[in-house]
Amino acid sequence: MIEVKNLSKRYGENVALDNISFSVGENTVVGFLGPNGAGKSTTMNIVTGYISASSGSVTVGGHSVLDEPNETKKLIGYMPEVPPLYTDMTVREFLNFTYDLKKVTLPREKHLKEICRLVRIDNVYRRLIGNLSKGYRQRVGLAQALVGNPPVLVLDEPTVGLDPKQIIEVRNLIKSLGKNHTVILSSHILPEVQAVADRIIIINAGRLAADGTPYELEHGQSGEQKLVVRMEGAPAEVQHALEGIRGVLHVRNFGEKEPRVYEYEVDGRGGADLRRPLFGIAAKRGWPVLAMASSELSLEDVFLRLTGSTYLSDNARMLSMKGGDRK
Amino acid sequence: MKAICKKELRGYYLSPIGYVFTGVLLFFFGLYYYQVLLSLSSSYITYVYSSLFTLCMMILLPILTMRSFSEETRNKTDQGLLTAPVGVFSIVLGKFLAAFLVFAIAMAASLIPAVVISFFSSPDWPKILGTLLGSLLYGAALIAIGIFISSLTQSQMVAAIATFGVSLLLLLVGNLSSSVTNPFLSGLLSWISFDSRYQPFTKGIFSIPGTVYFLSAAAVFLFLTARKLESKRWS
Repeated sequence: MIEVKNLSKRYGENVALDNISFSVGENTVVGFLGPNGAGKSTTMNIVTGYISASSGSVTVGGHSVLDEPNETKKLIGYMPEVPPLYTDMTVREFLNFTYDLKKVTLPREKHLKEICRLVRIDNVYRRLIGNLSKGYRQRVGLAQALVGNPPVLVLDEPTVGLDPKQIIEVRNLIKSLGKNHTVILSSHILPEVQAVADRIIIINAGRLAADGTPYELEHGQSGEQKLVVRMEGAPAEVQHALEGIRGVLHVRNFGEKEPRVYEYEVDGRGGADLRRPLFGIAAKRGWPVLAMASSELSLEDVFLRLTGSTYLSDNARMLSMKGGDRK
Repeated sequence: MKAICKKELRGYYLSPIGYVFTGVLLFFFGLYYYQVLLSLSSSYITYVYSSLFTLCMMILLPILTMRSFSEETRNKTDQGLLTAPVGVFSIVLGKFLAAFLVFAIAMAASLIPAVVISFFSSPDWPKILGTLLGSLLYGAALIAIGIFISSLTQSQMVAAIATFGVSLLLLLVGNLSSSVTNPFLSGLLSWISFDSRYQPFTKGIFSIPGTVYFLSAAAVFLFLTARKLESKRWS
């Protein structure tokens, strides 16, 4: 549905987007994740045809955003970071204006009522937008994107300013919209993206840092398997034995954690399950294994690692060994 | 285009701006007409338009156009317009038509005193209508300039003041031409001058060059506005 190829955007010297490519199929929810200023909004603005790219191309539903802007804009409902609301209009007037602006042909009253029910703004339908709270305005912004029932929805931080209950409602709404719409949403909040997206694209400093399902990102990101083990036994010998296991790349000794018990981190090549051979060696040599945990990265770790935090691997280790008593 | 024009008209008449514009304009027309009545000669009616128009328009039209695009950019509502499946020309034309309608309605209302006078006397209708037509054309060009300037800035004040400056310059540039010795430059200045284009209308002449000039000026600035809006997409 959406095809983005080698997209770059420069503002003078400043590179906002650096050669980003991805494609989104029909009826999927894709989450853009990245720290503030990573280029999420820029990408969305380019996809929706609001600003141009310095280079690269975007096609939506087979139409180029640059050459056939009106064709692509018809397919897209866009909710920008700051919803484009006219504060001197009532919700009703504004939605009717949007309806006219987009030249929608669906039955007017029924369609608008339906949208208001979906985003739960029917109780403020006749109120002035300027007098609405931030949460309501945000939802009017969402309603505006839904007018005309476009097959593609681009939502820039749709839950900002909502209270926790509303956030859950909007997430559920996006999830259900994702069944028959292509949705791109952006957020810098990880659990949000995790909750609704079928696929996550992580952008950092204008670059595509990762692209995959939440599961793939959690498991496949490093391409390696890490085990953290606590074993009794002479450390040098143990380390040597562990390094001898097939598939092990690297063993690190974290030191004595309990009397005569040392903790090791074992890095293995992707795909190889090291737990069985490790157990086998420990049993053969008579080294009691007191704890063993695989330290797969949580999505949060993946995100932080990709976006350049440094305290990571240690953090990952601690998470995996939670519950173990350490001194 | 219709949706935008409708929305703009709503904006003008739901906020005080439309009423203040019409009210102030009609107040001064009333004042001038009063002077005409005092002079007891309807032949002065054209002066109402030719002298008042240039004065009032310079100040009032910039106020009408100042928020046109600057407010949209500032409130980021332009994002909604520019990502909707409408061409930029429709957006610009919608805005222009709305501002022009507000102006034309006020100008049409200004004819009421002349109509009243016509019951008791026979005013020079060709002259009056000619002046009105000239004023509308002049106004259309100024509105287009104002809309263009408002698309350049996010500040309504800056837009208003700049539009005022440009309008005044276009009015005064004709006076300059008489003091310039270079014949080419002098000719050019009087060619540009909005005022010298406007004068034939006040004599009741339907000036084709003047009409073409004002309409082209409006078209050029509307075109530039559309380009300016679209520049986000291809710059």
